[in-house]
Order: sequence, then structure tokens, then C-alpha cells
Amino acid sequence: MSDKRPNVVYPPPIIQSASSIARQLKGDYNLSRWAMALLLLQGDQDIALLVRRCEGQNRWQEINLIVEKTKKSSTEPISYLIALSRQQVVQELLQGVVVKEKLRQRTRLDILGDLTMRPPVGIPILVLVLYFALYRFVGVFGAGKVVDYLEGTIFQTYLNPWINTLVERYIPWLAIQDLLAHDYGVITLGLRYAVAIILPIVGCFFLVFSIIEDSGYLPRLALLVDRLFKSLGLSGRAVIPLTLGFGCGTMATLVTRTLETKRERIIATFLLALAVPCSAQLGVILSLLSAQPIALAIWAVFVLLVFLLAGYLLAHILPGQGPIFYMEVPPLRVPEFRNVFIKTFTRMRWYFLEIVPMFVLSSVFIWFGKITSLFDYIAERLGQLVTYLGLPSAAGEVFLFGFFRRDYGAAGLYDLVAQGGLTVRQLAVAAATLTLFVPCVAQFSVMVKERGLITALSMAAFIFPFAFAVGYTLNLLLTAAGLA
Amino acid sequence: MPCCRLWRKTSIKNGQKGPSLKKVVLVGNPNVGKSVLFNRLTGLYVTVSNYPGTTVEVTRGRGRFLEEELEVIDTPGMYSLFSITAEEEVARQLLLQERPAAVIHVADGRNLGRMLPLTLQLMEAELPLILVINLMDEMRRLGLRLNRDLLSRRLRIPVVPIAATLNEGIDELQKKVAELVRQAA
Repeated sequence: MSDKRPNVVYPPPIIQSASSIARQLKGDYNLSRWAMALLLLQGDQDIALLVRRCEGQNRWQEINLIVEKTKKSSTEPISYLIALSRQQVVQELLQGVVVKEKLRQRTRLDILGDLTMRPPVGIPILVLVLYFALYRFVGVFGAGKVVDYLEGTIFQTYLNPWINTLVERYIPWLAIQDLLAHDYGVITLGLRYAVAIILPIVGCFFLVFSIIEDSGYLPRLALLVDRLFKSLGLSGRAVIPLTLGFGCGTMATLVTRTLETKRERIIATFLLALAVPCSAQLGVILSLLSAQPIALAIWAVFVLLVFLLAGYLLAHILPGQGPIFYMEVPPLRVPEFRNVFIKTFTRMRWYFLEIVPMFVLSSVFIWFGKITSLFDYIAERLGQLVTYLGLPSAAGEVFLFGFFRRDYGAAGLYDLVAQGGLTVRQLAVAAATLTLFVPCVAQFSVMVKERGLITALSMAAFIFPFAFAVGYTLNLLLTAAGLA
Repeated sequence: MPCCRLWRKTSIKNGQKGPSLKKVVLVGNPNVGKSVLFNRLTGLYVTVSNYPGTTVEVTRGRGRFLEEELEVIDTPGMYSLFSITAEEEVARQLLLQERPAAVIHVADGRNLGRMLPLTLQLMEAELPLILVINLMDEMRRLGLRLNRDLLSRRLRIPVVPIAATLNEGIDELQKKVAELVRQAA
């Protein structure tokens, strides 16, 4: 025996037979003859074929004779005996190789990780995460500073006037001029919204989300909110699509696939369409309302109430059982820069490829509506409708934008405020109604794809009047409270 | 990404025409991180092809081990040399036919009792073997400590603990593979 071979102690008859077979083998198999012999003894058909071809009929017959004799004289299958011997050797080999440490040193990250799951500490941590990640970074930095610069400085001061003059100089037809430039042009409106308002906000959100995702915080958040979510008919697992909904409702609706029951998926899809503002909307609303803390507070509390109430009611109306939830919690760790970068980049690319055509198309729709006066007619009707909410009739146009994209509508609100300014009450009502308002075209098409046409249509049919009714109620409440 | 696909095509051509490189084969049970390790060891020159006559996929790539450039082959998961499934048959065929200069047995450190029988078989087959114990990060988390020197002395082969997802221990593995390939030459 070669001393390279580990000392697996097989039963003596097996060792004898394998040795005799190995002596018969003359071919070059790349596996040792000893290993080939053991495989033959176990009755491996492919190896038998190979050996038969290599060794010729005579030697093969002798080998086969040994194999058959060994098989017959053994009470148990040879492969079993061989596996058993190996297992014994492995046990001996592993003696003292792997030691379980009794008291592992808990790192600071471990302690923090546990604390995030306990409500007394976990909720303040959640508030801090929301404040810094969503409000400070996405709202104030992304939607405020970055948008101000790109929108106000680059587009409004330099790009738009330049494009307007360029278009006016070279294109004689007013209709085509309006298609490309001026107030509703593909470049001056569509591209401006996409590049200067939406992209920085979404980019900031996806960056923050990737960091949070890679840190292992999301599963902890899921456990923390599990009990609350149960009363909404959801499990803690739904925290992932719902949080992602703060980035992009379209993407989040796709992610509801990860939920286990159909019932849960319907509830999550509905809540995403109704009461979860996407980052574009959120960014614009946060930056608009940050100057009016009262309006911001009213909006936040009100939307949260609608979210909770809608979930609670759905959980009781929809037939079926509540979900059972179990999730493996990975360790909390410092995110790897490369991963975060790649995730943010791919999400932004996906979003941008999806959004730019939509914005251009929406601009074309609006242009078409403008020149045919169809748009004016609908905007006027909506303008009448929004006066019931105590809003100026110009807000009707903003709501019309909302049909094309939720964030488009929110960005229209931005323009409205920049032009004239709304009162605190009007801001709160407009922001709340727009948040609840129908999902954008893209999100709606994903709803149809994932939940079916009938479900998606009935959701939209409910949300549309509901958003206005809620806006109406809120306006009444705030007026009664004496808010201007 | 489109650029990768472009490279893949050229690498197939190179693989057929160019001088053949010495081979390193990764073997091990399913789900022990072979593919993650494969990606750590190879660069962009990767080809995925069905093994002749089967629908089982075999991934090949090139990697640098110190000064030596080697072809790295990722095999389908196998539990034993005594093959039962089509995947295992392909993995064994690769060992029989490719004449590897080094075989890396990738094992899940959390469950060595189930992994080592294959190590023993590969040693019995007298293949140029390195035992890689993966998922060291998970072992640490579970409070499991590995005495690699003890295991290496008993087996009389190199034992390298790694955490493939964290890129931990890959440098040492590359060094050990280079040494093994040089000894064999």
C-alpha cells in the first residue's frame, strides 16, 4: 500500500478483493487503481464500462469474478460497508478539530443588532434611521440641495432659455415649438423633471436603501414591526416591499412576489398604491413642506392613519388566514462599498430606462391634449373638483399630471408653489390627496401584470374617489380647526 | 453586460486555439460555495458550456496563481465519487478526463462530518488535493473554532480555511495551489 493513502480500515474481505482487482488493472485512469477497484466493488456501471474497454475481455472477466464473489459473500451491500468505514475514519479525524466555544465574545455590532429588534430601543433607532436616511438625506439633501441646483440653476437659468431661443429660431411652427420647448415641452418639461427633479431624489433613496439592505437592518426591522403588521394582515416580511415602495412603487409592487400568500400580496399591493408615497413624490413633498412644519406633520400623521386604517379594514374584509412569519436574521455588518455601489447603480439604471420614455411620452400626451384643448377641458373639470378641496383651480392641472406619473404630479405641485404659494392648509390637503391618488401608469401596469386586470382596476376605482373624499374631509377638518 | 459576452466569445476561440493551460478542478457537495470561490479565482474569461452529451453545465475560466496562469473548472455538486446522479457523473468524468494539476475540495466548515468522506475518496484516488474549508465567517458566528493544523497533519494534505464571500483566505489558497502545481510538474 502506498503511504499516501489515508488509513481507512475497510473490512478485511473488501481490502483483499480491492487489492487483487487493483493488481489486475493496467490502464491509466487518472484515479488511482485502488480507488478504481473500490468503485468496481461498489458496482459502479460507468466505471465498469470504462475498465472493460481499457483492460480487454480476459482481464475484465477475472476482475468481474472477484467483484461478484465479494458481493455474494457479503451480507450487506458493499457500498454501505465502505461508506460506514469511511464515516468511522472521519469521526476519528475530526476529534478535536472543530471546537464549539462556550462563551463567544459578543461584538458591539451583535449587541446593537439585538437591540434593534427590541421595541424600547428599536423604535427610537427606527425613527433615527427614518429621520437621517429619508428626511435629511433624501428629502433635504437630495430633493432640496441637489434638485435646487440642477433644476433651478442648470435648467431654469441656463438650459431652458437656451433651448427656447434655439427652438424659436429654427422651428417656424408654434405647435412643434411647444412640443419640444416652452412650458410643456419634451425637453423643457419632460427631460427637466426626469433629470433634474426625479433622478437625484431616486438616486439618493436607492443609495440609502442599498446601504440599509446590506447592513442587515431590514430583517430586524421586519421582526420589530411584525406584530403591528399582523393587525394589517401582513407579516413582518412585507416591510421589504413596503420600504422599497418609498423608493419606487413600481419596483415595490414587483417585489410583493416575495410575500407568501395571495392575500398578503393583495394587501401589500393595495397599500403601496394607496398610501405609500414613492421617493420622487416624497422628495418633492418633503422639500415643499419642510418650510411648513405644521403642514408636514399633518400630512405625515394623516397618511399614516390612512395606511393603518386601510390595512386594518382590508385584513378584516378579505377572507383567509393571517400569515405565519419566520425569518432568518443575518448578522449586522458594515456594508461593502462595492456592493452598495453596484446595487444603487443597477437600480438607478433600471429606473432611468423605465422613466425617461414615460416622461417623454407624458409630455407628448400633454402637448397633444394642449393643442386639441382636450387637456384644458379635463384640467378645467378637475380644477372645479379641487376647489371643493379648498385648492386653487390651477391645482387641477397638477392632478392631471398625476395620472401620467405620481411623481410628475408632485413635481407639478412644486411648480405651483414656486409660482404663487399655497397656504399651510392647502399644502397639507394637496400633498395628502396627491399621495393617496392613483398610482402612476407604470405602477398600474405592474399591478395588472402581477395581480390581474380585475383586481388592479377595482383597486384604482376605489382609490380615485377615495383620495378626493379624504382630501375633502381633511380640508373640512383643518378649516374647522381654524387653519388658514 | 454586453462587454462580458464579447470577451466570452473570444475566450472560447482562445480556448480552442491557444496553448492549453494546466487545470484546477473545484469539487464538493452542492451549496458549499464552489461558484463563489470560482468567481474569486477567475477573472472575466469565463465560458459556460454543457458537458458533451448532457445538459449539465460546466463553467470554465482562467485565473492567476502567483506567476502561473491556470484553467479553473467549476464542477456540478457531488456527494461521492461513487456517482448516482447525472451531475455527479459529469463531475467524476471531469476528474477522469481533464487530468487536473490540482483538485480543490470545497467543504462547508459547519458540517465537516458530512464533507470529509469525499475528501478521503479523493485522497484514495491519489489526486493532487487541497482541502478548502469554506464559510469560516459563518463558523465564527456560530462560535465554531477550527484547528486547521491538526486536521492538515492528520490528513497529510494542505488545508486552507476561507470565507469566499468575504474574499478571506483566497490569497493563501492561490499560493498553495501554485505550490502544488509546481511540485507536480
